[in-house]
Amino acid sequence: MKFRLSPQTLQVLDAFLQGPKNWQYGYDISRNTGLKSGTLYPILMRLAERKLLETSWETPEIGKPPRHLYRLTLDGMRFAQEHRPARSTRRLARAAFGGAKS
Amino acid sequence: MLRELDFIESDWAALFWALGSTAAIFRHSVRGGLRAWLEKRRDQSQGLPKESIGKKAAGVASGIVIVLAVTFFAFALVRQLFYAFPAWDLGSMPWWVAMIVIPEIIFLVTAVALWRKRRSMATGILLSAIVLVVHFVVHAATHVQ
Repeated sequence: MKFRLSPQTLQVLDAFLQGPKNWQYGYDISRNTGLKSGTLYPILMRLAERKLLETSWETPEIGKPPRHLYRLTLDGMRFAQEHRPARSTRRLARAAFGGAKS
Repeated sequence: MLRELDFIESDWAALFWALGSTAAIFRHSVRGGLRAWLEKRRDQSQGLPKESIGKKAAGVASGIVIVLAVTFFAFALVRQLFYAFPAWDLGSMPWWVAMIVIPEIIFLVTAVALWRKRRSMATGILLSAIVLVVHFVVHAATHVQ
């Protein structure tokens, strides 16, 4: 699947992989990743368009508005895991060489 | 995304969340609108049948013919009036008023009137009228001292 993997998208996928089968709120993902809503939601929309995420509305309690929930699909889980080694390698490389300046 | 606002503790954080969400919605809708418009344009240009292109070309050509005919008759009329009625003192009227200004006004009015129903013909008229004006301006610039 052709998909532009920005560092922010990788962060979002990483956050989903913490609990791959759990439904997550947008605000919680934002807190876990540190991404602002203006960055996060376009990523969530793109992932949902490509069927990597499934979305659902929370059944609301009385007096509270329903919230949108997100979860990885099977394809999304596979995709996120496929890109995990690359992320780990990149993270290792950053940890090893990130501080060095030429 | 804006429903999350009720669950954000700080007012400032809620404000920034709302601003970011609004920006995301705006970008998404602009991108979607632009994409739909481009697709519509592409479909229109691809789905244009040959007969329709031929009809349009005929419309433009007929507009050009109308302009040429009107200009020719205006020229002929002015020439005839000079000889037929010398007592009218037509010489005091600049020839280009009869040859250029009056026909150009007629072309403009006709093009505006035809624009909705016969756009291709109106385009032909407008194009020819522009060519006529440009020709006149170049002629005036090179011949008048």
